[in-house]
Amino acid sequence: MSRPLVASFFDRMHAHPFFRKHSRKAVIFVPYVWLLVFFLLPFFIILKISVSEMEVATFLPLLKYRDGIVSLALNVSHYLFIFEDELYSATYLASLKYAAVTTFWCLFIGYPFAYFMARAKATIQPALLMLVMLPFWTSFLLRVYAWKGLLMESGWVSELLIAVHADDLLLHLGLITAPGKFMYTPFSLVLGMVYTYLPFMVLPLYATLSKMDLRLLEAAADLGATPWVGFWKITVPLSKAGIIAGSMLVFIPCIGEYVIPELLGGPSTMMIGRVLWDEFFSNNDWPMASSVAVVVILLIIVPLALFNKYQAEATEARA
Amino acid sequence: MTPATAAPATLQIRDVVKDFGGGSVAVNHVSLDIHKGEIFALLGSSGCGKTTLLRMLAGFEIPTQGSILLDGQDLAGLPPYLRPINMMFQSYALFPHLTVWDNIAFGLKRDGMPKERIAERVEAMLKLVQLPKYAKRKPHQLSGGQQQRVALARSLAKRPQLMLLDEPLGALDKKLREETQIELVNIIHEVGVTCVMVTHDQEEAMTMATRIAVMSEGKILQVGAPAEIYETPATRFVADFIGNVNMMEGTVAVDEPDMVEIDCGYCRHRVGHGITGTVGMEVSVALRPEKIRLSRTKPEGQVNQVQGTVRDRSYFGSFTVYNLELAGGRRLKVSESNVERHREDAPAEGQVAWATWPDTAQVVLTQ
Amino acid sequence: MTPVSLRRVLGFVGSLTLAYTLFSACPVRAQEEEKVLNIYNWSDYIAEDTVANFEKEFGIKVRYDNFDNNEILHAKMVAGRTGYDIVVPSSYFAKMQINGGLLRPLDRSKIPNWKNLDPNILSALAEMDPGNKYLVDWAWGFTTVGINVDKVKKALGDLPMPDNAWDLVFKPEYMSRLKSCGVSFLDSATEIVPPAAHYLGKPGFSKNPADYNGVPALLKAIRPYVTLFSSAGYINDLANGSICVALGYSGDINIAKNRAIEGKTGQNIQCLIPKTGGLLFMDTMAIPADAPHPNNALKWINYYLRPEVSASMTNKVFYANPNKASLPFVKPVVANDKTVFPSDADMQRMERPGELTNDSRRAMTRIYTSFKTGL
Repeated sequence: MSRPLVASFFDRMHAHPFFRKHSRKAVIFVPYVWLLVFFLLPFFIILKISVSEMEVATFLPLLKYRDGIVSLALNVSHYLFIFEDELYSATYLASLKYAAVTTFWCLFIGYPFAYFMARAKATIQPALLMLVMLPFWTSFLLRVYAWKGLLMESGWVSELLIAVHADDLLLHLGLITAPGKFMYTPFSLVLGMVYTYLPFMVLPLYATLSKMDLRLLEAAADLGATPWVGFWKITVPLSKAGIIAGSMLVFIPCIGEYVIPELLGGPSTMMIGRVLWDEFFSNNDWPMASSVAVVVILLIIVPLALFNKYQAEATEARA
Repeated sequence: MTPATAAPATLQIRDVVKDFGGGSVAVNHVSLDIHKGEIFALLGSSGCGKTTLLRMLAGFEIPTQGSILLDGQDLAGLPPYLRPINMMFQSYALFPHLTVWDNIAFGLKRDGMPKERIAERVEAMLKLVQLPKYAKRKPHQLSGGQQQRVALARSLAKRPQLMLLDEPLGALDKKLREETQIELVNIIHEVGVTCVMVTHDQEEAMTMATRIAVMSEGKILQVGAPAEIYETPATRFVADFIGNVNMMEGTVAVDEPDMVEIDCGYCRHRVGHGITGTVGMEVSVALRPEKIRLSRTKPEGQVNQVQGTVRDRSYFGSFTVYNLELAGGRRLKVSESNVERHREDAPAEGQVAWATWPDTAQVVLTQ
Repeated sequence: MTPVSLRRVLGFVGSLTLAYTLFSACPVRAQEEEKVLNIYNWSDYIAEDTVANFEKEFGIKVRYDNFDNNEILHAKMVAGRTGYDIVVPSSYFAKMQINGGLLRPLDRSKIPNWKNLDPNILSALAEMDPGNKYLVDWAWGFTTVGINVDKVKKALGDLPMPDNAWDLVFKPEYMSRLKSCGVSFLDSATEIVPPAAHYLGKPGFSKNPADYNGVPALLKAIRPYVTLFSSAGYINDLANGSICVALGYSGDINIAKNRAIEGKTGQNIQCLIPKTGGLLFMDTMAIPADAPHPNNALKWINYYLRPEVSASMTNKVFYANPNKASLPFVKPVVANDKTVFPSDADMQRMERPGELTNDSRRAMTRIYTSFKTGL
């Protein structure tokens, strides 16, 4: 019933001179509106709050009218404070560090994972893919909670680690603080983050690896490359796009991660997400919280911009 | 062009079988001797086993049975990267992330050759394939012909004892293919490497190869020089596969040491050589279209001629192909060279014409 | 340490959805109030049948959500449009909410049971809510120290129990010994800094951040011996013996004691009242300024002030209630427990809640973060 109506609406819309002239732009318009409404607008709201002054439950207006003069009061003291108190720089750095370590381990575990998935029989690949996606069917929160149980004293992962004397090694590396106690340590934090973000690494890697032309490896072998050399000289360089995409998908959300450090991390693993929480909830200081958020966004935008630049170059090269 | 029969063959393929399971045997008891400096073509339609045979030479597949010897050394158990064999892959398989220079140097670096020598060799290879200016380009920045030459340079760079070419020109368009065929042969001869190539294109095989092996269903039907394969096909399949051919079924009517006559009913063949057969035996007579002449009037004599109606005529520039309808609806293809610009008496469509051929034109196939 | 509980996060998500449904479902408010009441209270803070009985009697559907710290509630209130009709902030947080205009004055004519309220509690609450215009106490208790008697004795060895219970958690010489059997602290700046300041003889709730000057050093000295930061999970840990000392809430410690007895864990848990007094807290019912069902909220308050309803809370969770008339309904064992209803002498020593400002909260948070993480 509604189909002809809708169709005629679109027909008329396309017949309109404006759309005929700008139909191409109209198509691009949609994502731009999306970005504007769901990214730029909230960002500017946060930016505005970050330069405001907080009362108990309201903000002082930025624009003031007094004695016939309109004055704009931008309060940048919150940004300055970020540099004053080393708490912020220290937790920023900790966030970068844990994000980087998590990305490394995701890559280290995810690459072979994706590799064997992509090289498995075509008939079982959908099943393997399903297994990677399977955790998403359970609440992320419950899965992180499950790790809590597994890593607690007398949890069976904990028992297993003790049985193979992995705790000695971790203790030696300073990743846990006492033998046999895995929870609330850098170890449990990184374990939780690697576990959670692994699929985000595996999926783009799988996508690039499964698209790879396997004859290139035959060509390499034919030219004298052992399988090991062929892997490093051909497979790895050709999966660069997947490695970068996967790393970004892991690294970026890890920087701002709040829930996993709260549940699995300890006092020694404070990350910027918790600082932001404190500013917002404990201090009720929305401007400060917003300032921290703006800096986090900047911190995330830099790697993202680098990634985009690489993507653009790669696309250009392919064209 | 004839192989040096005295020296032992460079490549000896001994009773090789490849069975992937599932009923059909990809390569079925193949034995071949390929000599130094030869360009040996494996010709056949897709699925005939030629590529599998090539991949066994390269080491990508392991023979189910039989052995492959290169310069007397058995290649069994040797992985691809240890074989002194290089391959030019179908559609080249150039490394997309490496420059032309690095593609060519890839194999040399694996051998741990000193840097200066690698540079020297790569420069020489680029010169050989006339691409010195393109060293810094990536494969996707090259044309199809240029990519083909990079692939050639890459597979020649290590100076292999044996080079394998898998449909070397398959990815090029027709005009470029013809030019490149000659160029490729020249380069191969310049380097002097022994080659085994795989192709489904009989013209390509004819032009490039010193010898051809025609394959079908995993078996080798005939091995010989191009002219041999064309002029004296051993089987109906080979005759049919190589070039165009008219097949006529008949029985031996007269059998003499230097002459036979074959009766096909609508036409009687006199063949100017003897065959191993007896009177009354059923045989096929293969007759190439270009060996037949057409005339508007009945030629002299009673043999090696047939009357028909021109059903269609296709002009190809250098020659014209006539399709004659014979008695009983049979067809005969005739290809006439256009030696004159406008032949006055050329039969038109619908006209009756006589086809005639010399007694050296036919091949009598007893199997 | 459980800095964030599952329930808290789920509750957060849940209430977002709730708020959404509320504001999308009823764009036009009917003249007669919808038969719905949305309550946001602390976790484990009510008897099982209280909500059900209210629903049955008034025909009002109750949605009952939980939180476990004031900060979450406060942030939501500041953001506005929580969709809740009854919230239960601690009085010093409620004070900020009154100042911020986030609460609605109570129509006392709709609360005939007001007469049941203990005048002492009313006057104490008036310090935060002059004239008792906005708040009605839900329950009260105090922040103090709870111990596992046998384990603490064993851990202290030749060291006798201190005269002041606060010494147990703030003096390194005790803490260093107690570490072996486990020490838990509440996981919130506003629950740790005030007791520490109080221990140093300063006001626990001060608008002047300078009053907290001595706190960082005090806390730093005992930091190595704190084995757990927990605002709710410590109840079980105390009951099953995996910690031996908790800086926690009086009622929670009594719940642990009761669980140990009921579960026959053999752990002898005791709630202490420090010589200098605990830190009194009052969790108060209030109606948000933008509550969608304020009349239902008043019905709920009046219902809660019935003697038997208030008493059932106390019987269940061992927190004192403000309802003078409820005492006959409180089980004798609870009514006579001096850690639930402290003696007048103990009451005199208790530190009363005070007003907080954004600056004092920031100072507390920074001290607490530094204490916890060393940053």
